Amino acid sequence: MKSSSLERALPLTIDIQLSFEGVSFEKFNLTIKQDLSLRGITGIYGHSGSGKSTLLRAIAGLEKGMDGSIIFDNTSLIDSKTKCFVKAEHRNIGLVFQDSRLFPHLNVLNNLKFAASRCQNRRLDFNEIIRLTELDSLLHKHVDELSGGQKQRVALARAILAEPKLLLLDEPLSALDRQAKAGLLKLILIIQKELQLPMLYVSHSIDELQQVCDKLLVLSQGKMVGYDGIHRMIHQLNYTQNNHAKIDDFIHQQTSLSLPIKTLNNGHGLAILRLNKIDEIYLPALEENSIEETLRCFILASDISISLTEPVNSSIVNHLLAKITTINTVDKKVLITAHCAMEDGDQEFFVSISAFSQQKLALREMQNVYLQFKASAVRTYLY
Amino acid sequence: MSPDLLALFTTLKMATLTTIILLLIGTPLAWYLAKMQSRFKVIIEAIVALPLVLPPTVLGFYLLIAFSPQHLPGQLWQQATGQQLAFSFSAIVIGSVLYSMPFVVQPLQKAFEQLGEPLLEASAMLSANAMDRFFNIVLPITKASFITAASLGFAHTVGEFGVILMIGGNIPGETRVLSIALFDHVEAFDYAKAHVLAISLLAGSMVLLASIYLLNSPRKKTLKRASK
Repeated sequence: MKSSSLERALPLTIDIQLSFEGVSFEKFNLTIKQDLSLRGITGIYGHSGSGKSTLLRAIAGLEKGMDGSIIFDNTSLIDSKTKCFVKAEHRNIGLVFQDSRLFPHLNVLNNLKFAASRCQNRRLDFNEIIRLTELDSLLHKHVDELSGGQKQRVALARAILAEPKLLLLDEPLSALDRQAKAGLLKLILIIQKELQLPMLYVSHSIDELQQVCDKLLVLSQGKMVGYDGIHRMIHQLNYTQNNHAKIDDFIHQQTSLSLPIKTLNNGHGLAILRLNKIDEIYLPALEENSIEETLRCFILASDISISLTEPVNSSIVNHLLAKITTINTVDKKVLITAHCAMEDGDQEFFVSISAFSQQKLALREMQNVYLQFKASAVRTYLY
Repeated sequence: MSPDLLALFTTLKMATLTTIILLLIGTPLAWYLAKMQSRFKVIIEAIVALPLVLPPTVLGFYLLIAFSPQHLPGQLWQQATGQQLAFSFSAIVIGSVLYSMPFVVQPLQKAFEQLGEPLLEASAMLSANAMDRFFNIVLPITKASFITAASLGFAHTVGEFGVILMIGGNIPGETRVLSIALFDHVEAFDYAKAHVLAISLLAGSMVLLASIYLLNSPRKKTLKRASK
């Protein structure tokens, strides 16, 4: 079932304007003009009322009454000038809703068959998808008997069995507990990899998006404020939060990383990631991964501290030599950006300290310092 | 065939035909009302609900006038079929369709409103077109409301008297239904025959209603599911 050819990027051109109702029924205008090249998982991030779900519904064909056009894979889906509107059922786009929306009069198997039987050219093996989504034991259950996580797994399998060209995910984890969230996220990653299916993933949780997305589009109050690779976009958000206190895209300032795993467990309960030829990053031991696999992780800016000398006599295991590039002060809080040299360019680290500490250490730009953080400060949402 | 048996046959024929017509007209009307957001919605809703409060004789009176050969609807009918509309079987079917309309439209409208958009959107995302969505999502999920609507429409038509008396008269085999036959027996002081008809109508209605409630009882469904 694995697609033999390399995954093709599907072009999606969005140029739309529409008004939508926010959470408290106030009217917003969503105005977006952007070319997206969909490959892997593209995240859409924004707080509630930013228009991210409305954008997804517009792409799906569930929003009407908009100006502009959406062109997907060289086919016009909407064009207000030519009054073209391709109905949702003819777009070959799948959507996993926040609330599963399983059909209550059908059991799990028949929910899945509903999708498969309406698929025009079936290529996927029905049983293989059931195996992949681990639904074997649930097939004859009624949908009322499923837990939230199970329901979303069925919803995901059902969407895949319709064999869409693009899968939209609208806050698929928001109704789940943490364990179920991690499980479903892993499944989404596996499915993406196995089926090479481009996905657009909407969420208000940067942690979720950080784990699965390759690119991130950020919306605020109906407008796009950024679109870039996931790590760079998160790093950009570190600043926007400081500079524009008005924008309530609150995220925890953080360093977002993808690094290869060198050791899963060093015998002392720690795993090791390779940062560059010399530097390594320690974190709590990993069990489900394999060596040389890339791990997505993040370190909160508030979890990193700065030392002027190498802290060799400290219990803190991670200390990296880095050069301060920018110092940003807002309200007695200082956000420092420091770079560690890597083979393929530098890795940025974000450190948040008090203005008091900055003065005490007399930190300035271009200064070399040691960044230190505990192994437990290196977090991953999934493991 | 005894006159009362003929009346029973006429009644069942009228009620069955009325129910079928009502489901065919009432379903799209209820769907339209459930999805409608215009302020004219209340006016249509009021017109549909009117027979609930209007004395049947009022409806019957206006229909009688409309159906007469002196007026347009009656004239058109006569041109099309060659027969007079007033005092015909067709007249009482049309009358019952109007008279029983709210009993079919209201439960269906409520069911469609409750169903809402979520499952329809979900099925559209799985390439199901409008007809597919109606027959494979809406119909099975709102089945109970369709049973209720059909049964109430049927039962209410069987129990109709005023409208039929006004527009149908009392023609055996054509417009003489059970309720009219019962009235005839009472007028002729034939209480024995009246009793037979009255008790049959009572029992029949009772059985019909009890079967709807049994069929739609949620307890039965959960028991069935639990035993699976």
